[in-house]
Amino acid sequence: MSRTVAVAGVSLELEERGDGPPLLFLHAGEGLEPQRDWLDLLARRFRVIAPHHPGWGNSSLPDWMMTVDDLAYLYLDLAGALQLQDAILVGACFGGWIAAEMAVRDTRRFARLVLADPLGIKVGGVTERDIADMHAMSRDEYMRLAWADPAKGERDLMQLPETELAGIARGREAFARFGWKPYMHNPHLKRWLHRIDIPTLLLWGE
Amino acid sequence: MRCWYFSEMAYHPAWEAGLARGTLRVVLPSSNFDPPTAHRLLNRYLDEFALCDEVGLDIMVNEHHSTATCMTVSVPMALAIIARETKRARLLSLGTPIANRPDPVRVAEEMAWLDVLSGGRLEMGLVKGAPYEIQPANSNPATLMRRYWEAHDLILKAMSTHDGPFNWEGEFFHYRSVNIWPKPVQKPTPPVWMTGMSVGTGTLAAERGHVVGTLLSGGTAKPMYDAYRARARELGWEAGPDRMAYAAVVGVGATREEGLRRADQIADYVRTAPVVAEPFTNPPGYNSIGANVAIMQAGPRAHRIVKDRQGNMIDHRRATVQQFMDTDTVFAGTPDDVFGQIRDFSTRMGGVGHLLFFGQGGHLGHEDTADNIRLFGREVAPRLAELSVSPAPAGIAAAE
Repeated sequence: MSRTVAVAGVSLELEERGDGPPLLFLHAGEGLEPQRDWLDLLARRFRVIAPHHPGWGNSSLPDWMMTVDDLAYLYLDLAGALQLQDAILVGACFGGWIAAEMAVRDTRRFARLVLADPLGIKVGGVTERDIADMHAMSRDEYMRLAWADPAKGERDLMQLPETELAGIARGREAFARFGWKPYMHNPHLKRWLHRIDIPTLLLWGE
Repeated sequence: MRCWYFSEMAYHPAWEAGLARGTLRVVLPSSNFDPPTAHRLLNRYLDEFALCDEVGLDIMVNEHHSTATCMTVSVPMALAIIARETKRARLLSLGTPIANRPDPVRVAEEMAWLDVLSGGRLEMGLVKGAPYEIQPANSNPATLMRRYWEAHDLILKAMSTHDGPFNWEGEFFHYRSVNIWPKPVQKPTPPVWMTGMSVGTGTLAAERGHVVGTLLSGGTAKPMYDAYRARARELGWEAGPDRMAYAAVVGVGATREEGLRRADQIADYVRTAPVVAEPFTNPPGYNSIGANVAIMQAGPRAHRIVKDRQGNMIDHRRATVQQFMDTDTVFAGTPDDVFGQIRDFSTRMGGVGHLLFFGQGGHLGHEDTADNIRLFGREVAPRLAELSVSPAPAGIAAAE
């Protein structure tokens, strides 16, 4: 079951499950997909709090909200509103970018940071593509890059109800709004990563 | 009805390579482009535009990017040449993709300059642009229409403000001193056109009184025109045919066979132009949520499919001339045939006041193109002009 909370004028849909130390999970660009295993696996040991980002799921996306900075401040406000203490901040892919932007700003409510295949920085040269152009490849190519086992990620869109399809379309649009240019990174973020002052686990798939 | 000749100035020598690669756009390398060949083609195409002035046709130019389908990269650049080579024709820019342009004030300047150069013959399309234009421009598709409307408002204000600089600090565009020179001949601005295929576009165009145009599919045009007329009525005015435009391939010949052959050759453009690599056909946010739901429900689709007048599904890549005629994509035959087809089409649509005459599509050679233009200009357009009156706005006398 999810519930809705209002933060900074945004109506956020939250998934919550499990008991234990608090863990704020920020999902990838594809969406939270709470029916998949990942939240349940985390919920075995943690109290998992997983918002649908603004524009994904049933979370609202105000016109003014256009950058990942906005999302970082929004979730710092959420952590405050939920009075999180010593929480674990976990971000996957796009969620990892948001988590890093939060951590360079304020880590007071967090004890540890986990970044799984995060977007958000580019270290290569002008003509090098550090971050694959997800919007310039076929769906099949994308699935091969995004999933160790692409079959696990497949969804038969033609079988899904209209509300869920609308959610997918909204999420894709929101992902583009936040990440189109510069493509899926903030050129300044890498200059401030030294400010992260909590133990950080970086997970990187090949 | 006014008739506007247009040509995409195609680079058809690369089409085979594009079809083999599965895309004519965005990622087809320019190793497939031969500058000396293009030099000859561009000059030939400009001669064909100039011929329109002699036979009483108006002229339309559009632009695309990173593509073998259209060499025009800048409408103002092409229209600047055509303005100098013509005396009477009105010149339609359809148009500038203003949500992909970083600098709307520059667009306003260029349009005003063209209006002055041509003595007030400019008509100004402010367009959204096709989905595959997003990637070459790298403009954010999720904020495309918000940028479009801000640029639209800024361009019209810049062209119609004559009492010194104004400030513009919007969501997407920031200027502290907008004060364009020259100012246009036509007041408050040259006539504004939009393009689209949806009911929403029809409604929004009606709210501003702009001309609305659509391309190559009568089936989608009718609901858009109806929405325009309904919205205008709600706002207390009657939208006549002069607010509605339609683009179609037209092949005219001395015989029906000749007209059909010409249309068939031009229609190769329609068969190849939709061949675009999948990721660039529907960038996120370009289409509405509702349209995206429908696309996902329909499942993977091959290419552009349209319905003919009987409701049959027609695949543009493989359609015959007759099938294109059944979807109102092509009008073809003798001058009498073509006049009758366009008249009937306009009647079915509730009155269309502008025909955008797609009269060269790549494969049609120069002699055929010139003859197509002459026959249409001399034998079809004058009869269409009597169907509905779309008077040209008054400019100043053409420069001597």
